[in-house]
Amino acid sequence: MKRRDFLGAMAVGATSARLGHVRWPRSADYFLIPMDDAQAEHLKAYGVAFRLLERGGRGEWLLNYRNGAFLLPADSGTQRDAALAGVTVQSISAGEADQIRAELAGTNADAVPLEKAPKVAVYVTPGAAPWDDAVTMALQYAGIKFEKLWDAEVMADKLPTYDWLHLHHEDFTGQYSKFYMNYAGAPWLREMVELNTQMSRRLGFANVPAAKKAVAERIRGFVERGGFLFAMCTATETLDLALAAHDVDIAASYADNTPMDPGASARLDWNHAFAFTGAQIEASPTVPQFSDIDGHQVNSLGRRQPLGSFTLFEFSAKIDPVNTMLIQNHRQVIPDFYGLTTSFNKNRIKPGVTVLADEPGAPWAKYLHGELGQGTYTFFGGHDPEDPQHAIGDAPTDLSLHPHSPGYRLILNNVLFPAAKKKELKT
Amino acid sequence: MIGLRASCFVRRGVVACAISLALLPPCRLAAQRPVPTPQTVNPLQRAFDLERRGTYAAAAEAYRTVLQADTADQTALLGLERSLAAIDRTATMVPEMRAALALKPSPVLYALALRVWTAAGEPDSVRTTVERWARTEADRVVPYREWGDLLLQHRDLSGAKRAYLAGRTASGDPAVLSAELAQVAQLQGDYPTSATEWLLAQRLSPGYRSTAVGALAQTPEAQRPAVLRVLAPESGGEGAFIAAVLLAQWGDPLRGAEHLRRYLAAPGDGARQGTASIAAFVEQVRVLGTRDARRALGQALELLAERQSGAAVARTRLEAARAYADAGSAPDAHRMLALIGQDRNASGDLASQAVRTLLEVQIAGGELPDAEKTLSDQGDRIPAEDRATLERRLAIAWMRRGELDRAAAHIDADSTVDGAALAGRLALLRGDLKTARSYFQQAGPYAGTRAEATDRTALLALLQPIEADSLPALGQAMQAFERGDTVAAIAGLDRAAQGLEPKAGGAQLGLFAAQLSAARGDAVDAERRFKGVAATEVAATAPAAELDLARLFLRLRRPAEAVAQLEHLILTYPRSALIPQARRLMDEARGAIPST
Repeated sequence: MKRRDFLGAMAVGATSARLGHVRWPRSADYFLIPMDDAQAEHLKAYGVAFRLLERGGRGEWLLNYRNGAFLLPADSGTQRDAALAGVTVQSISAGEADQIRAELAGTNADAVPLEKAPKVAVYVTPGAAPWDDAVTMALQYAGIKFEKLWDAEVMADKLPTYDWLHLHHEDFTGQYSKFYMNYAGAPWLREMVELNTQMSRRLGFANVPAAKKAVAERIRGFVERGGFLFAMCTATETLDLALAAHDVDIAASYADNTPMDPGASARLDWNHAFAFTGAQIEASPTVPQFSDIDGHQVNSLGRRQPLGSFTLFEFSAKIDPVNTMLIQNHRQVIPDFYGLTTSFNKNRIKPGVTVLADEPGAPWAKYLHGELGQGTYTFFGGHDPEDPQHAIGDAPTDLSLHPHSPGYRLILNNVLFPAAKKKELKT
Repeated sequence: MIGLRASCFVRRGVVACAISLALLPPCRLAAQRPVPTPQTVNPLQRAFDLERRGTYAAAAEAYRTVLQADTADQTALLGLERSLAAIDRTATMVPEMRAALALKPSPVLYALALRVWTAAGEPDSVRTTVERWARTEADRVVPYREWGDLLLQHRDLSGAKRAYLAGRTASGDPAVLSAELAQVAQLQGDYPTSATEWLLAQRLSPGYRSTAVGALAQTPEAQRPAVLRVLAPESGGEGAFIAAVLLAQWGDPLRGAEHLRRYLAAPGDGARQGTASIAAFVEQVRVLGTRDARRALGQALELLAERQSGAAVARTRLEAARAYADAGSAPDAHRMLALIGQDRNASGDLASQAVRTLLEVQIAGGELPDAEKTLSDQGDRIPAEDRATLERRLAIAWMRRGELDRAAAHIDADSTVDGAALAGRLALLRGDLKTARSYFQQAGPYAGTRAEATDRTALLALLQPIEADSLPALGQAMQAFERGDTVAAIAGLDRAAQGLEPKAGGAQLGLFAAQLSAARGDAVDAERRFKGVAATEVAATAPAAELDLARLFLRLRRPAEAVAQLEHLILTYPRSALIPQARRLMDEARGAIPST
C-alpha cells in the first residue's frame, strides 16, 4: 500500500474517530516500514520501532531487505506513532509477511528479532547544547529516550545500569581538544577548563588528564562486561590514546603542568586500547590534532586532506548479522564530513577490527566495529554528517531538513542494534 | 595583534636565513659537484631539513650541534627554539641561551632570551634581561613592549600591564605603549581605562582611531556610560567622534549625531577633518534601519551639505530629505526640499527627484490634500511610472482614512496589475465581494511585493467560501482593519460571520478574527475563538485553527497542550496541506529540532 493510500484509509477512519480511536484496515496484521527511497522519514522510523519495544512490543529488523525495513505488529499504538511522525508505513497481511520471509530465505537477507529497548546513555558535559552532538540530535529527532551522564556518574559506577553508551567530541587526553593555545581567553573555553578542573578535583585527581584516564578506564570496563559503546569524532581517537597512555604523560604542560613525555609514542600500551595501535602522538601543544590515527588532520593546515565520500561495505545478513545491522542504509556512498577526528588511518587500526566503511583508494577508514570482552564498540569518524565543514559557532543542524540523512541513519543503526536478539553465527 | 609580533620576528629570521642559503654562490658547475655525503651536508641545512620533516627532537639536536661550533649563531638558536616549542620543551634551551647572551648580546637574542626564560618559569631572569636590554637600546620602550607582548601571549594580563607600565616609566613619556595598554585593559574587561588609553594612542597616531572604534564597540552595556564620559566629556574633545560612532553602533544614533556636531564645533581635529569624519559617521548610520538612524543620517547629511559646494550640495540635501522622510520627520524634509528649490546649482533631474521626495513626504505625513495639489501642479515633472506609483500610494492613504471615492479617483485610469490589486481592496472595503474577487484574480501573483501577493491570496481564500456577492458588514470590518483598529475589525468580522454558515465562510471569518485577536495579544479571547473554529470541523479552516492554536500555546509556554493539539490535527486531518507545518511545529515543541 502506498503512503497516500494508508493516510487515506486513516482519513476515512478519522471522520468519525478521534484520538485513541484510530482505525486501520482489518486485513492488516503487520506494518512494514520500508527504509528504501519510499520512506518519507528515515530517521523517525527508528523512533517508531524503538517506542514499540518500549511499550513491550516486539518487531523484526529485515536486514538487506528494502535497505533495512522494519516489520512491526499492526497495533494502534504503532499506527498512531507512525502517523504523527510522518513515517511511511505499509499495512500487510500475515500471508504477505510470510512471503517476505520466504524472500529473505532465498537472498542475502535475514530477519533479526527486536526484543527490548536498550537503555541509552550519552556522555556529555553538563549544560552542553544538544545541537553540538550528532547523536543527541539524532536521538531527539527520532524520539528515542536517553539519559545524560558525565565524569561524576561514570566514576560513581553508573555505567552498568545502561546498555548503550555514546561518546562524541570529548577529549579523553584531558587537553580540551587542544584548543587551549589557539582559543585562549574565549569564554566557552574558559568555561570548559573551569568545569573540567573542578570535576577532576572533586573526584580527587591531580589534574584533568588524570581524571579523564580514569573515566576512559571505566568506559573500557563497561564494554568489557558487555556494554555497547558508540563513539564519534575525537572521542574515538582520544579514548584509545588515554587507554594506551595509562602510565605515560601524553598531555601538554598547559593541561597538567608537566610537558609531555618526549618518548610517549614509543611507550604507549596499545594492548589496552580498543581499535588502534602504533600511533604517533602529535607533540606540539599548539596543533589541535592528537596523533596520526586521524587521516584528515582537519586543523593542521599543512596536513589537511580534502573531503571525499565513503562507501559502506556489504555483509552477509545470515553470516554476519551484527555488521549488517550497522550498515543498513538506502545509500551506499555517503559524502564525508570533517571532525576533529574525521577518519582512521588503516595502518593504525588493529588487525581484528572490522572496517564497515572506507573511502576507496584512500588510506583511511570511516566506520569501524570491534569486540572487547563481552561487549562491542563502534567508532564513526567526523562530527556532524549534515554539516561537513563544522566549525565552532556554526548554526545548529536542523534534522527536519535532513529526514533522509544516510549519515545519521548509521548513528541510529547503532542505537537499535543492541535491541536485536543475538543469533548463533552460522560460521 | 601584539602577540603576533614575536612570532613574526622568528619567521623573518627563517626567511632571511633561507634566502641567504639560496644566494650562496655555487663553487662548481652542477655536473662537477660531488654527491653529498652525510659528512659534507651543512649542519644547519641538515637541521632545517629535519625541522621541515617534522622530526623536531632530531632537529633540536642538529641545531645544538651547530651551536657547539658557534655558541651565538642566531639562526641556529631560533631554529632550536622553534623545534623545542613544537614539542613543548623550550625550557630545555636555557644553557644554550645563557651562553649565547654572555658571548654576543643583541636585540634578537635578548628577545629570544625573554621567551626562553618565560617558558622556563624564570620571571626574575626576564626582568633582569629586559632592564639590561633597555640600557643598550636607543628606544628604551622596545624591550618592555617585547616583555609585555610575551606575557600577553601567555594570557598573563596583569603581568603584561605591569611590563608596559614599566616601559612607560622607563621612557618618561606618559603616552607610550597606550595602544598595548588599551588592549590589556579591554581583555581585563575594564573598558573605561581602555578608552582612556585609546585616546592617548589616537593623539600619538590618528591611524588608531578606527582600531579604537572597533575595540570599544564591544563595550558591555553596563560600562558604556563610563566609556562615553571618558571619550566625550561635556566640553567636547577629540574622543567625541569615537563616541558619536559608538553611539550609532549601540543603537542611539541621534545622540551620536549630537556628539558629531560637538566634535565638529570644537577647534582642532574636528574642524580640520570635518568632511571625512561626517562621511565616516554617515557610513555607520546608513546601514542601520531604524527611524532614529534615518533621522541621524539626515542630520549628518545636512552637516555634510553645509561643508560642500556646487551641485553636490543639492544632491546631499536631497538624500537628507529622503532620510528625514523615511524617519517621519516631515518638517525637516520640507526644509531640505525648500533649500533645493532655492539652489541655482540643482539640475532638472535633481528637481524632479525633489518633487517625488516632496510627494512621498506629504503622503507619509498625511498631508493628502497638499499631496494632491503637488501632484496636480508639478506632477508633469516626474516620470509617468513614478507618477502612477505615487497616485496608488495616495489612493492607499485615502483608503485608510475611509475616503473610498477619493481613493478610487486616483486609480481610475490605472490598468496595471498593481492598480487591479488596489481596486480589489477598494471593492472589498465597500463590501462588493464579487468585484473584489474579480480584481484579485486579475492581479494574480504579479502585483506588489511577495508579502502583498501572499496577503492578497489570503484575502481571496477568505472570500472564496462566501456565496454572497455583497456583504457590507465584511466591508466595514475590513475598513476597520485597514485603519489599524483591530478591536473594531474583530467586532465587524463577528457581525459579518453571524449570517453565514460555518462552511459558507463563517468559519473562515471566525479564523481571521481569532488571528487578529492573537495578534493584538488577547490570548484568552484568541484561544476561545480558535477552539470555536476548530470545533466547526470545516475542512481547511479547522486544521488551520488548530495549527494557530498550537502556535498560541507555544507562545504561552504551554508546550504539552501544543503537542496534544498538533497530534489531534495530524491524526484528524491527515490529508491537510498543513501537516508538514504541524509536524515541524511538533518537533520544535518537543525540542527535537532547534527553534526557528
